[in-house]
Amino acid sequence: MGLTFLLIEDDEIERLKFARVLQKNNYNHTLTEAENGEKALEILENNKELPDLVFLDLNMPKMNGLEFLKILKSNPTLRYTPVVILSTSNNHNDLKESYEIGIAGYIVKPLKYEDYAHKIKCLIEYWSVNELIKR
Amino acid sequence: MSNELEILQRALQREKAARKQAEQILEGKSRELYLLTEELKDVNAKLEEGLTEKTSELQGVFGNLVDAYVLMDISGNVIKMNHSAKELFGYDINQEKLNIVKLIYKEDYEYAMTSFQELIVKGSFSDYQARVYTKHKGVRTVHINASLIHNKKNQPIAAQGIVRDITEELEQKQIFEEQKKQLSAIVENSSLGIALTQFGKIIQTNKAFQNLLGYTQNELLQKEVKNISLKDEYVESENNMQKMNDGEIDNFSVNKRYVKQDGTVFWAKTNVAAVRNEDGSIKYQVALIEDITEQLEFEKQRDRLVKNLEKSNKELNDYAHIVSHDLKSPLRSMNALLTWLKEDYVDVLDDNAHNSLNMLLKKVDKMDHLISGILKYSSIDKVDHPKQNIALRDIVTDIIDVIHIPDHIAIKIITELPVMVGDKFSLQQLFQNLLNNAIKYNDKEQGLITVSCKEKNEFWEFAIADNGVGISKKYHDKIFQIFQTLDNQGESTGVGLSIVKKIIDLYEGTIWLESTDGVGTTFYFTLKKEIK
Repeated sequence: MGLTFLLIEDDEIERLKFARVLQKNNYNHTLTEAENGEKALEILENNKELPDLVFLDLNMPKMNGLEFLKILKSNPTLRYTPVVILSTSNNHNDLKESYEIGIAGYIVKPLKYEDYAHKIKCLIEYWSVNELIKR
Repeated sequence: MSNELEILQRALQREKAARKQAEQILEGKSRELYLLTEELKDVNAKLEEGLTEKTSELQGVFGNLVDAYVLMDISGNVIKMNHSAKELFGYDINQEKLNIVKLIYKEDYEYAMTSFQELIVKGSFSDYQARVYTKHKGVRTVHINASLIHNKKNQPIAAQGIVRDITEELEQKQIFEEQKKQLSAIVENSSLGIALTQFGKIIQTNKAFQNLLGYTQNELLQKEVKNISLKDEYVESENNMQKMNDGEIDNFSVNKRYVKQDGTVFWAKTNVAAVRNEDGSIKYQVALIEDITEQLEFEKQRDRLVKNLEKSNKELNDYAHIVSHDLKSPLRSMNALLTWLKEDYVDVLDDNAHNSLNMLLKKVDKMDHLISGILKYSSIDKVDHPKQNIALRDIVTDIIDVIHIPDHIAIKIITELPVMVGDKFSLQQLFQNLLNNAIKYNDKEQGLITVSCKEKNEFWEFAIADNGVGISKKYHDKIFQIFQTLDNQGESTGVGLSIVKKIIDLYEGTIWLESTDGVGTTFYFTLKKEIK
């Protein structure tokens, strides 16, 4: 059964990387991409179907990841969607704040594409065996 | 004849009568005389009694006189001395003769003679003050009042003097004067303005006070404290003054402004202390004022600088953090794109292209390491881990367990390692970086690395010794600088030892090394046992 993902990431190549992992592994999951937090909110509000999982970059121009996360978690319908952070750093404050607001995972983007592909693959396989709320 | 007889008889009778009368008178006079004599005897006896009384009274006064009493004849020979005089001069005229001249201090001789002339001419002198020699005590200063004694013919026969020893009194006075001088020297030369006030009125000031205010002493004495204060601040001081009057406090300190003679104002730290009467009421207030206008300006400046420093420090930290992450993003992209090139065009690219792509990937990797290094280096003193007791033996043992140690290398802890207060993260980093280096640069068949420690005053001195490649003397300073590495081709970024140095700085220690090329290196470093 295919999952639906929302990837919120400002860097084009990062978005390409994610898509490539899905493609190379022949996953039949659906990926929606948003360039920033504002766009992501628009998508979430306009779509009847909520994504099964949100992948969120922290460092983004305009609304950054943490701001988006706060809005998401204070929304009564959106708050149950699990969010996995894709961050550049394992900065302690970012980690702590993210978990405080409420996240389902925190991935530090590795330098090497191979390492990245491996991490994303593990993640997707993990979430594939999870029971998720369907609306 | 008969007439003659008759005349004779009458004459005889008259004579008899006259004689009887004379006898009677005589008798009367005799009685009077007798009575008078008796009376005189009585008076005399009384007088004698009185005289004895007076004499013994005088004798008493003379003997008990606290001051020395000296009686001398006109030539200066001492006839009489009381007990005090004997004590003072040390002579006893019952034992030896004494002439007053012998007592006169050489330098005062002339003055003594003048005074003696005055005595002869005027009959007395008073307030004579001069030095005298005594038999035992040396030179004393005395005060003398003297007068002449005359006989019935009003000729001078003797002179008497009351002598008081004022040597100590004078000395005390001198000491007192000296102290007064010293005290006023302190007060006058004090850089603090000092003023004595009484119920708000200025009654004494020192030079510094006058200079600070720009008034003369006399001008200030016409003023009250409120005349040289700002109104609002004076009210505040008044409250304190009231408390002082009530005995609640004995002194207080305020920073207040004073108005100078030219109308300008300056800030001064003012200490006011109460000088109380025996009953506790206020006698004076002593105010010490110190111009702190400049000091306040400095403080303001310092606060500004500290704030700026804090700001730029934070900016710098944020900067390092942000820059590092922003630099890492493109590297990740480059790595991805290069990898895809290799993957997607595996059939198209020749060996040469593959080599180039691999070298590019390596450079990207190196760049990433450098950025990580900057990040680590800049966050060493930023991470505010709590200080706790750290058992360094556990730290080192953990590191040995965790890091990769090739089979031919052994790490041994050869002494006790202390437990010290610090933060675990930085201490771990310190030992790990040094041990990593020791492992990485070991070229021997049997590598041996030892860790040891000894106590050195307030410091622990550690030594990490290896039998590796060694480091030339000329590089001993350079290796602690960031991005300086002696490794030409490897992945070394030159950050490890600079982090080590930074951590040791945090523990107020030092690091140095002894090394022989090809034989091995020993890194020594100290850590302060207790840091603030």
